[in-house]
Amino acid sequence: MIKLQGLSRNFNGTKAVDGLTFEVKEGEIFGLLGPNGAGKTTTVRMLCCLIKPTTGTAFIGGHEVGKDAMKIREIVGLLPESPGLYGELSAYRNLEFYAKLYGVPKQKREENIERFLKMLDLWKRRNNPAGTFSKGMQQKIAIVRAMVHEPKVLFLDEPTAALAPESAKIVRDFILELKRERRTIFLCTHNLYEAERLCDRVAILNTKLIALGSPAELERKSGPSKTEVQLERVSEKIVNAVRGLKNVKDVEREGNKLLVVTDDPESANPTIVETIVKQGGRVKYVTRTAHALEETYLRLVKESES
Amino acid sequence: MRKHKYVLYGLIGMPLIFVILIPLTSIYPVMSAEVPSAGELPPFAPAGMPYKQAMVLGLVNMTVLMFMILPDFIPSVIASYTFVGEKVNRQLEPLLATPTSDSELLIGKGLGAFMPAMAVTLVSFVGLMLVVDLLTFPLFGYLLLPNLLSVVVLFVYCPLVALLSVSLCVFISSKVTDVRAAMQLSAIAIFPVLAFYFLFLSGVISLDWSTLAVFALVLGLASMGLFYLSKATFRREEILTKWK
Repeated sequence: MIKLQGLSRNFNGTKAVDGLTFEVKEGEIFGLLGPNGAGKTTTVRMLCCLIKPTTGTAFIGGHEVGKDAMKIREIVGLLPESPGLYGELSAYRNLEFYAKLYGVPKQKREENIERFLKMLDLWKRRNNPAGTFSKGMQQKIAIVRAMVHEPKVLFLDEPTAALAPESAKIVRDFILELKRERRTIFLCTHNLYEAERLCDRVAILNTKLIALGSPAELERKSGPSKTEVQLERVSEKIVNAVRGLKNVKDVEREGNKLLVVTDDPESANPTIVETIVKQGGRVKYVTRTAHALEETYLRLVKESES
Repeated sequence: MRKHKYVLYGLIGMPLIFVILIPLTSIYPVMSAEVPSAGELPPFAPAGMPYKQAMVLGLVNMTVLMFMILPDFIPSVIASYTFVGEKVNRQLEPLLATPTSDSELLIGKGLGAFMPAMAVTLVSFVGLMLVVDLLTFPLFGYLLLPNLLSVVVLFVYCPLVALLSVSLCVFISSKVTDVRAAMQLSAIAIFPVLAFYFLFLSGVISLDWSTLAVFALVLGLASMGLFYLSKATFRREEILTKWK
């Protein structure tokens, strides 16, 4: 659905985006991660035909960026960094205005606005001026604005940045619902937890592409991972049994908790739990000690900067 | 509009000046003063009628001509805010991401300033007519307004002047990066009307049909030229990346 081929952009001789090449499949949630100034917004602007690439090209739904700008704009929706609503207009009028610009027929327009506002819990406030809304509510209206013409591809630049946790959850659920409708979602975010939960694949960008893969694949690149197993009671027999497992690199004991170091927790964890149970241990919970994607991200960004 | 009070003040304050202040300060003093029954008439006063009536009719015509400043000024308040104001409020990026052509954007922005300007102009003209007729009826014994000149001004020149003002202001607004700079530069929209007014006042031109037609042609051509200039120089990318 989205294909980038050496996409680059310079501003006054400075490279903002350098030679991006990757593809995003239809129905995929694709995360673009990177520090401030990494080129995320510039990439989105190029893909939405708001600015032209200096070199390279990209295709959205088979249409080439720069050549088929109008066709691309018809099939994409954009949530920019700032909501940019018309504060004097009601939420409904804001959405209606944009739906008209996208040429959505009246009945469909009304259906879509109602459906999406209800999904984001804003239907009751539809007639209030957008300027009176909190930052988070404005962000949610801007998300509906990006969706009001039911685009095939949705670009979301920090969709939950200004949101309270409960609103952020509503937005994440909304994004997952859009995925179920087979929409392609291109998500720029600083929120690694969000990327881990939502994205099928992520790209880490720092002007250049520095990593690409599923969150699990990237996590594995961060090296050994720690699994925390809370038991009712830890015995030496259990510790030794776990230590003896093939995929386990190390075991630390903290009271009734075991910290197990493995290269591949997803394949090792079932065996670890099984072994503990066989040794008579009673498992209370199993969890990861840290967000591995965060570790990978921080390491890769640091490496790219040095 | 509530947020930008200066726009609202402009939309209310300027009509009051043209409807009440100007007729009262120009026509009323002549109406109430003892003026000679004969004497040399100033260039703007029509010949062939008693001195006082000629003076008053000349002043009414000048008031009607000066009224053209209103449709010139109002769009400049709104239109100069269009692109630059939306950029400052970060409303432009989602708009530019829609499948809207440059022409559609420019025409849309222009209409957004033109329509309210014409509505305010029409309503204000009714007010001007009432004030002028109330002031002058005792002298003439009939209603001076609407006369042919006022109808031409209202339905030909006011739309043309508003169009020129809108075209100029949209052009300026898409080029400068600051709302105040846009508004200040947009003030030059008033020059053609002022030039016409002062040329008439000084007697260089008279209100004959050929002069009026040339003025209309100049306004129309200037508006078209500005629209095409705006379209040719409209750069979405610069607006997004170079404006702060």
